[in-house]
Amino acid sequence: MKLAPVDYVILATYFAMVLGIGWMLRKKVSTSGDFLLSGRAVPVWITSLAFIAANLGAQELIGMAASGAKYGIMTAHFYWVGAIPAMVFMGLFMMPFYYGSKARSVPEYLKMRFDEKTRGFNAFTFAVMTIFSSGISMYALGLLLHLVLGWNFSTSVLATAAIVLAYTYLGGLTSAIYNEVLQFFLIVAGFAPLAILACVKAGGWHGIVSRLPSNMTHSWTHMGSAADNPMGVEIFGMVAGLGFVLSFGYWCTNFLVVQRAMAADSMSAARRTPLVGAIPKMFLPFIVILPGIAAVALAQMSAAGGAHLYDLPLKLSGGVWVKDYDQVLTTLMAKFYPAGILGVGLTGLMASFMSGMAGNVTAFNTVFTYDIYQSYIRKGAPDRHYLTVGRMTTIVGVALSIGAAYLAQYYNNIMDLLQFVFGFVNAPLFATFLLGMFWKRATANGAFYGLVTGTVAAALTWGLTVAEGKGGVFGHVHTFPSVMAQNFWIAIVAFTSCFLITVLVSTVTRVRKESELEGLVYGLTKIRRDENARWFERPVVLAVFVLVLAVILNIWFA
Amino acid sequence: MLDLRVPSGWFFTLLGVILVGMGLITPDARAALTDFNVNLYSGIAMLIFGLFLLLMARLAAGKSR
Repeated sequence: MKLAPVDYVILATYFAMVLGIGWMLRKKVSTSGDFLLSGRAVPVWITSLAFIAANLGAQELIGMAASGAKYGIMTAHFYWVGAIPAMVFMGLFMMPFYYGSKARSVPEYLKMRFDEKTRGFNAFTFAVMTIFSSGISMYALGLLLHLVLGWNFSTSVLATAAIVLAYTYLGGLTSAIYNEVLQFFLIVAGFAPLAILACVKAGGWHGIVSRLPSNMTHSWTHMGSAADNPMGVEIFGMVAGLGFVLSFGYWCTNFLVVQRAMAADSMSAARRTPLVGAIPKMFLPFIVILPGIAAVALAQMSAAGGAHLYDLPLKLSGGVWVKDYDQVLTTLMAKFYPAGILGVGLTGLMASFMSGMAGNVTAFNTVFTYDIYQSYIRKGAPDRHYLTVGRMTTIVGVALSIGAAYLAQYYNNIMDLLQFVFGFVNAPLFATFLLGMFWKRATANGAFYGLVTGTVAAALTWGLTVAEGKGGVFGHVHTFPSVMAQNFWIAIVAFTSCFLITVLVSTVTRVRKESELEGLVYGLTKIRRDENARWFERPVVLAVFVLVLAVILNIWFA
Repeated sequence: MLDLRVPSGWFFTLLGVILVGMGLITPDARAALTDFNVNLYSGIAMLIFGLFLLLMARLAAGKSR
């Protein structure tokens, strides 16, 4: 792929833009709360777009096109099943406690509801996880830019990291959030044309359906048994594992996204954040997954000369050529985009990387400053001190991510493993929150031991089962039809064991006084109604609208 | 507080102008599989989006004054 001068101009304009936004917001930062929490003053349309943009990293973009080519329309389950219901639940039922409790982070809520050790456990695992995920995605981007454009790995990694550092250092969370919205627009602008062009070339949706096997163009029809669909997952594993445990664990407890909703300017806006975000979220598959599906159809079509219109990219693995799905997105761009729009597409890719990284860095910042530094290293200092610590943590966080990116470059296998572990480390957490928020008898010890048991159970399940020749470190008890199915079932086991142990331990340990739980638990919290909200701004109305749309999409592509 | 619609509005207006310009100057610029002037059409869309954001910001500023 060759870039023309105009493509560089577009890329440079974008870089200037994000730095400019950081510069304009620098004066807004005078307390640690401004820097780390946006002073709770961001309008709802911004928080809701940032809510989905922080999750839409470069890896997601590349990975969704790759999965589209590999699994077909079933990939949309990661949105229509694996995100929308959880986002609705978060807005309707969980946000009142997060926002209303005045907690500054997810770990801090755990401290208020349970105790210090539960908070510590969550804060440390979260901090480590954000650094590594940011590093891994940085590595993925560096690798891709090197492969596609021949750019030097170090230069592209360091330059993009420096820009992210500059704008988050200047304007803190507000700057990260504002830029995420711009980045979201840019991702849509850069990739929607690709989806349209690829789809039209493949003969529209009907053309795609006629060329692909039926199990790649139907999302539910072939879910009866794992052997019938390309993902190798059966319906229970999909709905319970992905749709319930993993997605609720991610969207409802991951501070990376929760932080965006917490920055909203009112309770009503905080509750509406995930609900409003769900609307664009459910149409993202048409931009990020559809190109991958269309690519498979294009690979079966011939031009006038007899050659295929497009060939799925290959890579050498262990001496044999295998399909390299991760390159589907960029090879499609090269096939469809002339200079100009190519620059926009590439900028969109950079934008997605930056929004993902800034999301990780700002979440790491807040959790480190408030939940680790202020709780364990230095308590009771004046706020100015924590503002400085927050700023310094931004630098340290970026530096650590760069370190993780290089680590990923040298120890590829370790990173695969880590990524896999992160996939289910959050799974038991949702059980803790569910019981904590809706069952006033749940106790601190119950939560802590439940969480530990859930995590251990996840590791054991992984170690005792085999999928696609991987896993089974401790023995071989069961074989899963695919890694995906294994992942979903690990999550189910982790959630269930955490839930059971929390309930069990809670019944034998001392319960906290109800007066201490006000604002933290359902039934002991008065949820404020926004009397002056217009009818379509009411969370319940929005939630029903979102769910109906999601059901329609599921049926349409069933 | 900065109204985000202003900078992003200008950004997309600028992108739109660049792409429409490309589409008009080199109407035959094509990648291997493109059949039509993708720069022109996506440029027009971005231009409209950018101007829309600027208009919304202008209306909001007028209301708050």
